[in-house]
Amino acid sequence: MYKPFSDGKAIALMVLPAVAFVLFAMVAPVFLSVYYGMTDWSGMGAMEYIGPANFREILFKDATFWRSLLNALWLAIVTIFFQNPLALLVCIMLLHSKKNSEKSERVFRTIYFIPAVISVVVTTRLWVHVFNPTYGLLNRFLSLIGLGAFKIDWLSNPRTALWSVILIVIWQGFGWAILFYYAGLVNIPKELQEAARIDGASGLKLYTKVILPLMTPVIRSTVIIALISCLKQMETVYLSTNGGPGDTTQFLANYLYLKAFVYGQYGYGCALSVIFVVVCVAGTVLLNALTQRDVGEF
Amino acid sequence: MVNGASLGLKAWNGPRRTGTWPRLKRYLLYTVLTLLAMGQLFPLIWLLDYSLLKSGDLFGTEFLKLPNPPQWSNYLKAWTDGLILPYFINSVIITGSTVILTVLAAFMLAFACSRMQWKLSKAVYGFVMLGMMIPIHATLLPNFQLFARLGMLDTYWSLIIPYVAFNLPFSTLVFTGFLQTVPRALEESALIDGCTIWGAMFRIVAPITKPAIVTVSVMTFVSAWNEFIMANTYLSSDRCRTLPFSVIKFIGYYTADYATQFACMMLVALPILVVYAFLNRYITEGVTMGALRG
Repeated sequence: MYKPFSDGKAIALMVLPAVAFVLFAMVAPVFLSVYYGMTDWSGMGAMEYIGPANFREILFKDATFWRSLLNALWLAIVTIFFQNPLALLVCIMLLHSKKNSEKSERVFRTIYFIPAVISVVVTTRLWVHVFNPTYGLLNRFLSLIGLGAFKIDWLSNPRTALWSVILIVIWQGFGWAILFYYAGLVNIPKELQEAARIDGASGLKLYTKVILPLMTPVIRSTVIIALISCLKQMETVYLSTNGGPGDTTQFLANYLYLKAFVYGQYGYGCALSVIFVVVCVAGTVLLNALTQRDVGEF
Repeated sequence: MVNGASLGLKAWNGPRRTGTWPRLKRYLLYTVLTLLAMGQLFPLIWLLDYSLLKSGDLFGTEFLKLPNPPQWSNYLKAWTDGLILPYFINSVIITGSTVILTVLAAFMLAFACSRMQWKLSKAVYGFVMLGMMIPIHATLLPNFQLFARLGMLDTYWSLIIPYVAFNLPFSTLVFTGFLQTVPRALEESALIDGCTIWGAMFRIVAPITKPAIVTVSVMTFVSAWNEFIMANTYLSSDRCRTLPFSVIKFIGYYTADYATQFACMMLVALPILVVYAFLNRYITEGVTMGALRG
């Protein structure tokens, strides 16, 4: 008898396009990186096989590599301990304001997400102008409030460059954080909140004892997404400081790009790519395993 | 006569619902929300304002300045010098193809993995989902070499193929989640009525899956439309360059012509803002359907 749901030819045709795209544009390059990573090669001309020497150099001698990871960690810390809690708080405030006026609440949410939909090229270049020492919005604001003495070249000063870059990323990513937490809060069943209220939980207690514990899965996945995207940061850095001054704002993705296309160390760049993939995969798996805790069905 | 109530003291001992305290709380609430909205919007308003002024105005002392008259010529110059139109057309071609191919490939994969019966179903699904962990930037260097060998550099395909690949895992996740809510009886009865499996998939199931199709399309559209780093790596001429490159064109060349630069940034931001104004509901839904379930 013909069983349409186990028709091998049909299944193959359905699966093939997706698998082909993934194999060609994601899996093949990872294996190619491993191969190129074991060579001393400028990207053109002769290629010399040198084994795992590149990897050894990155892990044990390359200070910029570790600096890049440290910068990602700073970005992650600011995201998780400043941007995310602020976003969650704002979402709670939004839901409170909803009782007052649904329309204004929707307008606020729409506005918060606007920076997130605009191309990172536009937003980053915009911020480069905002940080400009002569005509930038930020220095003008400092003059206005009488802090003119603190006017500096934000993106070229080694002490402020990283924080300036972090500010841009936090600003653009804020809309996403709002979106995640808002979706999580809305998904908490109304009955649970009502029941808690009847049981006498009110105000702050309602949030700390009922809402926050129920939000744990959402907070967990949002924090993991945030951490991984901090590791993957490149565009903002590339378009504002390109890692400088020195390597104070260097990130892994920008660093491997620079190595390959500016310094002509293609093999070394590929070795960095491999380590990059390993860090991302290990990070995701580890974070998922560490934070896995059941909050029960609701 | 002055009494406690008119001074707003009533709230401290009266009922909490109508007094000053809740009103104060409400003001506080709206003040914070408005301040944040300004923080998110003000740089963009600044951009809009100075894109309508003369370049020299940027060095004045004002925060914002009424453009009188608005310098629309900035926009005209940005339009021609920034190659807005050719880049826009390239963006439409690349993003359009990416959306269509992503929806097709992800829908078929999700259908095969949630409806068809075969041994490797779970393995193949897991394999594609692993793709979510691979960072785009780690594929830039090897793909550059791969595409160079295949003569694909500086073509539409050098962007469409990786764009589809990187949007597939999330899109498949959304479709699989949605298909779980569609009853199997539908395609089973269609098959009994003589429909082929392809007919059941595209004519019966696909129309019901429309909300997921819209969500996947919008999410893929936003990511492909704004993508820059792969385009910057794989494209080397104006032939295929996408809209964000208009902004790049002004870095270095016209360093003194700030007004035109600002106008160009506004023009590049405009299409996506229009799309967002109409479709922002689906972005919210996309997040709810996909990311939080994963």
